[in-house]
Amino acid sequence: MRRQQAVAAAVGVVVSLLAGLMILWLQGYPAAQSYSALFSYSLFSQFALFSTLNKASTLVLTGTSAAVGFGSNCINLGQVGQFLMGAMAAAAFGIAVGLPKWLTLPLVILASIVAGAGWSLLAALMKLKWRMNEFITTLMLNFVADYFTQWLISGPMLDPRAYSPMTRMTNPQAWLGMYNGLSGSVAVAACSFAVTWLVWNRSKFGYECRVMGQNPSFAAAGGCAVPRNFVLAMLLSGALAGLAGGLMVIGGMQHRFVKGIGANYAWDGVMIAIVAGNSITATGLYALFFAVLQTGAMGMELETAVPSEFALVLQAIVVLAVVASRESTRLFLAGLAARIRARRAIALGDARAAQAAQLAQRAEADHAAPTGGGQDEPRA
Amino acid sequence: MSLALELVRSSLLAATPVLLAGIGGAYTYFANVFNIAMEGMMLIGAFTAVAGSYAARSWVVGLAAGIGGGLVAAALFTLFAVALRTDEFVTGTAINMLALGGTTYALRQMFGVRGAFMSGQIQAIPRWNLPLGPVLGGHPFVVYVALALALVADWHIRRTRFGLRLRAAGEDPRVLDAAGVSSQAVRAWSIMISGALCGLAGAYLSLGYVTLFAENMSNGRGWISLAVIILTRGRPLGILVMSLLFGLFDGIGMSLQGTAIPAQLTQMVPYIATLVALRVYSLRSRNEH
Repeated sequence: MRRQQAVAAAVGVVVSLLAGLMILWLQGYPAAQSYSALFSYSLFSQFALFSTLNKASTLVLTGTSAAVGFGSNCINLGQVGQFLMGAMAAAAFGIAVGLPKWLTLPLVILASIVAGAGWSLLAALMKLKWRMNEFITTLMLNFVADYFTQWLISGPMLDPRAYSPMTRMTNPQAWLGMYNGLSGSVAVAACSFAVTWLVWNRSKFGYECRVMGQNPSFAAAGGCAVPRNFVLAMLLSGALAGLAGGLMVIGGMQHRFVKGIGANYAWDGVMIAIVAGNSITATGLYALFFAVLQTGAMGMELETAVPSEFALVLQAIVVLAVVASRESTRLFLAGLAARIRARRAIALGDARAAQAAQLAQRAEADHAAPTGGGQDEPRA
Repeated sequence: MSLALELVRSSLLAATPVLLAGIGGAYTYFANVFNIAMEGMMLIGAFTAVAGSYAARSWVVGLAAGIGGGLVAAALFTLFAVALRTDEFVTGTAINMLALGGTTYALRQMFGVRGAFMSGQIQAIPRWNLPLGPVLGGHPFVVYVALALALVADWHIRRTRFGLRLRAAGEDPRVLDAAGVSSQAVRAWSIMISGALCGLAGAYLSLGYVTLFAENMSNGRGWISLAVIILTRGRPLGILVMSLLFGLFDGIGMSLQGTAIPAQLTQMVPYIATLVALRVYSLRSRNEH
């Protein structure tokens, strides 16, 4: 099963890279040269590799944030807001707190985690207390957080010496630092990835969340505290997104909250989780892959003048191709198995078994089970 | 008096894209397609409308290109969600991202700009000076089309054979299939209709509401439409009322911009209003149970 998924993923990635090649070729860019620039500027030198890892440190956090949410059947689409609140908390604490470094750094990191988790807690409570659909509330809270932080950086927290909306620089005690171009946030992100992996795959809470993601009614019938787990999963999801935002301030180059700090990291994370089928391990791998695409796209722009936004297009194509290839492979194999069963039954002369196998085949083809992600029916 | 008049006028203008996308989404809602791609369809429509209007120097071409852009996005959604049976949530999210990335990329690739593209060569949708008084007269004609479409869609979904099949496809596709009508085809039609209407909403945004294209200019309107559809359970007349209400909040937010309240805070108003409306809805639905 796992091998089948890996094959489907490989097919999807190859198909989407070829589709990207085709788009470039149709638009008259030197396609092969662009692709070689894409990979040489993201992998084949120390600087390139470190830039890719820096980018991946953000993507892996927003990715696991989305995977934890979707995997436990909380449709948290509020990574944008949680990311921004985390970044803002890190900036505010980094400016205000001037304690020694060993005390300041953990404090600032904690602040960003709490801010992200707090913002997702809002949506979790709206769901539990007021039965408001979390996928709409998180989306709306994104805009609230976006305008709130924009107001802060252009009003109360505006750096008086700045020409565009941004906060003042944080105290150096709140900096993670760079080591030969490798940001300290890579270490923090790797640690939180490991912790999340352990919680998700090895703890009772993680197991219950995964059951909730597969089948909430079964989880409830099996004695899981579904509402409690829902809140905890939302908190974990928000905390990871908040940490991603915080690290942009703590571990970045600018050490402040600037306008547009979130870029598209939050939605990239959502796509990574989707394409990884909410598996934490696969999320890590796809985060690296997306980081390669995004970092390499900058090099591609330098070498062959393809706008670096091409990476965004390529990512969306990867998601569609991989997910579609996974589904079609599954359906094709299931159909094939049913057909073989039917034929064998007919050969044995068992008419009833043949009919049952054929029915099963049709049902399989008609009602493909949704893949992970979870489907929150608007009708409900 | 003139301030109140201005407010109502601007609410109507702001309500139109939400209304158009909402009517489109009503079709997918009744077919039980989870359509979160409206945001992306609208964005693509806004871009292709500007590109068409700029290239041909004609708003007719622009409008057609906008609807065409929405249809292409819808065809992609249909290909993956209906034909290849990919999860609708996944497909919708990917199309939204494709729309955001694709329009940003095309903006740089075709026009060589970042952020926003404006030019005198972009022809806006003409205004109709209908003798309807100071509130209803003199709007871009798509506003009137949207109002009329709400009535047409209500009749189309509730009273016609297609509407019946549409609702059947949502309620129980197997019954529809057994009756000899392909539920998949009906679902595909519903997605294409919503694509055309979202494309029209996008074209209105970039050629009627303003005359430019800006990165991510749909700015959550597709998601507000989704909230509106959930709140009204897909009834087009309900969608009409709710979108006018959201237009009003948008208008209030905008008219507060001249005051001491910072613009960033007034821009939150429509989103907070959506949250409040969802809260009110949850109260009402509890009473029903």
